[in-house]
Amino acid sequence: MKRIMTADEIRNLIPHRWPFLLLDRVVELEPGKSGTGLKNVTVSEPYFQGHFPSESIMPGVLILESLAQLIAVVAGTGGIEEAKAAGTLEELDPASQVGYLVAIRDVKFMRPVVPGDQLELKVSFGRSVGLLTMVKVAAYVGKDKVVEGTLSVSKRPDAGSEA
Amino acid sequence: MLLTYASVKEQAEKRRELTTRIKAIIVDRLSLDIEPELITDDQPLFGRGLGLDSIDALELTVCIEDEFGVTLYDDNMEVLGSINKLADYITENME
Repeated sequence: MKRIMTADEIRNLIPHRWPFLLLDRVVELEPGKSGTGLKNVTVSEPYFQGHFPSESIMPGVLILESLAQLIAVVAGTGGIEEAKAAGTLEELDPASQVGYLVAIRDVKFMRPVVPGDQLELKVSFGRSVGLLTMVKVAAYVGKDKVVEGTLSVSKRPDAGSEA
Repeated sequence: MLLTYASVKEQAEKRRELTTRIKAIIVDRLSLDIEPELITDDQPLFGRGLGLDSIDALELTVCIEDEFGVTLYDDNMEVLGSINKLADYITENME
């Protein structure tokens, strides 16, 4: 599988850190449009201590967080490409490209995700209105779809010249 | 064009059909807790009117495109002002 971004490169792009960096690798990337990422789930994750003491299940909201972090990578690299094209790359702080999550819609959790699973995360950017963008998301374990839905994200009001 | 009573009546019926459909779509897609018939044609959709916000505007833009094949742009967002404005825009832009 082609490796587009390692965990270290991801850490250089988005501000998330342990124990909340939930994206291990980016394997497909079309900046500003779509991406595929991997998150390996291990029993050593801190949240399994409490979720649950006798049955380890990855919290569904954290799968959404993984997807949101992949969205941040796609948006961040998109912003960098735009800045390159505009010749303003030096002034760009990558962390400033990370926006906010504003809506979660029509999300289904099809089966529990447990230690040993490898999440294949997929995000695909849709329509934008002003600062807001709607993103179709899905997560797979092997061939099984485990999560699907739509997340809406917002750029920071101070980021970029548009809006 | 000569307007006959029948053609005016037909136009009015078409218009009411369209506004009724828009109201149903808005209530359904935005999961609003209101009966579609209670939305009036000139009531503001955003802010104090129906209480929609910018996040709803994004969803509404997408479903207007899905349902009518009509694209809304950042610079013509005022067409989301009311049911009537939206119906005018859809009628003008649907082929």
